[in-house]
Amino acid sequence: MHYDTIVIGAGLAGLMAALARAERGERVLLLAKGHGTTHWTSGCIDLLDAGDDPLAAIGRLAAEQPEHPYALAGTVALEQGLERLRAACEAAGYPLAGSPGRNVRLPTALGALRPTCLLPATMVAGEARQLADGRPTLIAGFHELRDFFPPLIAANLRDQGLHAEAAYLGLPPVERSHEFGPMIFARLFERTDFRAAIGEQLATLVRRGGYARVGLPAVLGVRRATEVVRDLQARAGALVFEIPTLPTSVPGVRLFQALHDAFLAAGGRVQLGSFVLRGEGAAATLTVIISEAAAREQRHRALRFVLATGGVAGGGLRADHTGVLQETALGLPVRAPGGPSEWFAPRFLDEAGHPIFRAGIAVDDQLRPLDAAGRVAYHNVAVAGSAIAGCDPIREGCLEGVAIATGWKAGLL
Amino acid sequence: MMQTLETDVLVVGGGATGAGCVRDLAMRGIRAVLVEKGDLTHGTTGRYHGLLHSGGRYVTKDPQSATECAHENVVLRRIMPHCLEDTSGFFVITPWDDPDYGDVFVANCRKTGVPVQEIPVAEALRREPALNPRISRVFEVPDAAADSFLATHSNALSAREHGALILTYHSVVDLLREGDRVVGAVVEDLRSGEHRPIRCAFVLNAAGAWAGKIAAMAGVTVTVIPGKGTMVAMNHRMVNTVINRCKLPADGDILVPIRTVAVIGTTDVHVPDPDVYGIEPDEIQFMLDEGEKLVPGFQHYRALRAWAGVRPLYKDQDVASDRDISRTYKLLDHEQRDGVAGLLSIVGGKWTTYRMMAQEAVDEIARKLGNTTPCRTHEELLPVPPTEAPGHQASATPRLMFWMGKPLADVEREHAYGDLICECELVTKARVQAAIDSGAANLDDVRRDVRMGMGPCQGGWCIYRTAALLFEQKQASGLTNANTNAALLHFLQERWKGLTPVLWGDQLRQARLDELIYVGLMGAHRLREHAEQGGGLVTDHPAVATEYVKA
Ligand SMILES: Cc1cc2nc3c(=O)[nH]c(=O)nc-3n(C[C@H](O)[C@H](O)[C@H](O)COP(=O)(O)OP(=O)(O)OC[C@H]3O[C@@H](n4cnc5c(N)ncnc54)[C@H](O)[C@@H]3O)c2cc1C
Repeated sequence: MHYDTIVIGAGLAGLMAALARAERGERVLLLAKGHGTTHWTSGCIDLLDAGDDPLAAIGRLAAEQPEHPYALAGTVALEQGLERLRAACEAAGYPLAGSPGRNVRLPTALGALRPTCLLPATMVAGEARQLADGRPTLIAGFHELRDFFPPLIAANLRDQGLHAEAAYLGLPPVERSHEFGPMIFARLFERTDFRAAIGEQLATLVRRGGYARVGLPAVLGVRRATEVVRDLQARAGALVFEIPTLPTSVPGVRLFQALHDAFLAAGGRVQLGSFVLRGEGAAATLTVIISEAAAREQRHRALRFVLATGGVAGGGLRADHTGVLQETALGLPVRAPGGPSEWFAPRFLDEAGHPIFRAGIAVDDQLRPLDAAGRVAYHNVAVAGSAIAGCDPIREGCLEGVAIATGWKAGLL
Repeated sequence: MMQTLETDVLVVGGGATGAGCVRDLAMRGIRAVLVEKGDLTHGTTGRYHGLLHSGGRYVTKDPQSATECAHENVVLRRIMPHCLEDTSGFFVITPWDDPDYGDVFVANCRKTGVPVQEIPVAEALRREPALNPRISRVFEVPDAAADSFLATHSNALSAREHGALILTYHSVVDLLREGDRVVGAVVEDLRSGEHRPIRCAFVLNAAGAWAGKIAAMAGVTVTVIPGKGTMVAMNHRMVNTVINRCKLPADGDILVPIRTVAVIGTTDVHVPDPDVYGIEPDEIQFMLDEGEKLVPGFQHYRALRAWAGVRPLYKDQDVASDRDISRTYKLLDHEQRDGVAGLLSIVGGKWTTYRMMAQEAVDEIARKLGNTTPCRTHEELLPVPPTEAPGHQASATPRLMFWMGKPLADVEREHAYGDLICECELVTKARVQAAIDSGAANLDDVRRDVRMGMGPCQGGWCIYRTAALLFEQKQASGLTNANTNAALLHFLQERWKGLTPVLWGDQLRQARLDELIYVGLMGAHRLREHAEQGGGLVTDHPAVATEYVKA
């Protein structure tokens, strides 16, 4: 099979790029080792943790840091990408709320308030300004779910001036007796009998406590979350919202599925479980990539490639014990901040983050990889997402935004 | 100041030695109080290599030490089987070692009473296939892996059962002297900041590398040179036997399998202060290189964490060079030595010889007090703390040596899968709760008690879970969310110190994923303004801060 484009990496950046190219009528293969960091994140779309208007802040950032991935991708790609993502989620019955010009704050599983920009409808009622309306909020969870603890969440919210209380719900009788992870709960919530039992308990609590809304762990269904939340609201007699749990992130899985389905609908092919070992090419043109799956090597040809394998977290960059950073799929040159002695700040939660995590592949404004001398390494390769140098997406609060902007841009080039 | 506490003997230091002393005192019916500035094992005992020595390491350079180890090896196997894993030990001659030392080693083992037996290389390789096939000779000795957290807690539990009082997070800030006699100490309760006098007939200084600082409070000079050693834990038991290089003691020459990991160590660098030292990148590299000589491919295993401890090397007044410092221990009676009565120091030694050290110190104090009850610490089994087997009667727990499958078997017996707080180390909710109940002052104490957060995930999941459980359990007794936030932030930072030296490969990736969880998903850093020490926790006090400084 000969492809027009092969996208390496199935995180948000890879999915966006693959979708864009497939919708232009190309034959596209999405090749990845596993899932991306979507499964580790909140399932919201963070654009930038800088003030109330992230879009305006991104504009300023791009002017100040011309090598920042946002500057290279441009705001048009960001806005179009966000639109496409919204449409894909809408089509999956999982609408996103919010607007790129406004940050909102949502409670975390610690009860901190974190800024984000677009959020699933299932989280809307938990927005900080709504929580501050003076009416009481109930945070409820399950003893069996070890990834979400209502009392601490509620206490921290109270510390920030919000009226919140906590409760544990009884687990309705189910077949299993142990090991309740977020995905297991998500499937249970898709069952009507399970929801009925939970809804009944919530109704009692709401009646007694006069709660305006109930915050639950973000495990309220996988494919039908919006419906599940609506149903629970009706049963509880109060608004219901989700708060992200420890990974696995069910809202992250939903985003993945919405884009994955859209890509398949556009005729794309997905091959997971393949690890790209290397590429071959000549004259700055990549012709073949070689992947390994189940200990067998496989060669894949295409006219064009998108590298969206992520940064250190995604596995796209890897350091060895001698302090050398490598790009794992194609062996592209990595721009890193000095040697290991400069990689880390002494404080884990240092405001500025750790220099190592700004490492990545230097790219031009076509997102093509550059070598140390600033020459284009491959003309037919675009790099997208956290693999790009010059930004610490977690600290800057732009993980999803950068992935979408650069992913979509890689799909348009 | 708070009301004065009265006792016969005040033991300073909650490491192996101090805990051993207080147990021995209490078992002889002597009233005793132990004060420790941090948690039990906060000092060197919590940062050592994990080896119950056979004595083999010392047969040539320090024969007395070898004999002491050989003696105590037998005793500790008898009294604390639940703290030991009977790994056995090999001394191997690699191509880098002097082949002639083999015969010297065997002869010296015989002289010092260290049981030894040469075994064929082929047999050693069959038992330990990962070993370097180019080794030329192998000698087997009765080494074992030892859990010093558990052992110290077991000693403390026994001491309490015999009526002793143990005060952790109590730091000695002054010794009380009346004329030529020490009559007590002033301790600061780090939880409340209050100072409290303790009056006693004897102060027993068992403060390890800090013993010089304690003695100085009574105007007595004790020179203890802190000898820093660095160790690296690898995420794989590539061997199940302790592997020693058969040569004179040097750096990076022992590999100890303990629980789920194998630990390579150590170095020996004299540092000016036991509270201020760093881990240098070249120490880590050296350790990996030496590991490679024992187990080819060593560098490719995942290094989980690095830590360092400081040896309490006692320098006698008549020793000229630091290099001639012996590894044996010494009991100093400051009445005879310096003309200051009421103060004794027990210094030097090893974890393996802690009980013997305690016995010698307590024999002397008992003699002075006119107490004639004989020592029984070598005969009486140690009790098992509740963190090991919550819900069980300590004495009803079967006395098995630790084995690799034990945590899993415990989990299966209790049907506790759904209750795992730390998946990497198979720590159940009940054990975390027991650790919290037993008075943990921060999450690092819980880690020490149950090994939560020490596996490959670096605490990604269990730090949040444990913090939340702490809050739920202690809320009623006054712990606030702000105290909990402080505990969480404190622990994230403590953990980071041990990680930075080994962050590459999968470990670096995991660190980044944990950053994604705590910064990205949880917004832990946003709770800094809502964090405050208190509620019975100690999360921010200079007395227990170990400063890792960058080289
Ligand atoms: C790197 C390294 C590896 C080692 N490996 C081994 C091994 O494998 N096997 C072995 O047998 N031995 C080993 N040892 C030696 C062994 O660890 C020590 O000899 C032993 O742990 C010392 O115990 P201790 O109780 O005397 O001292 P410590 O454990 O240091 O206890 C002293 C305590 O005093 C406390 N303290 C200090 N100041 C005050 C104060 N003002 N008020 C109250 N308390 C105070 C400290 O906090 C500390 O907890 C190793 C040592 C090092 C450094």
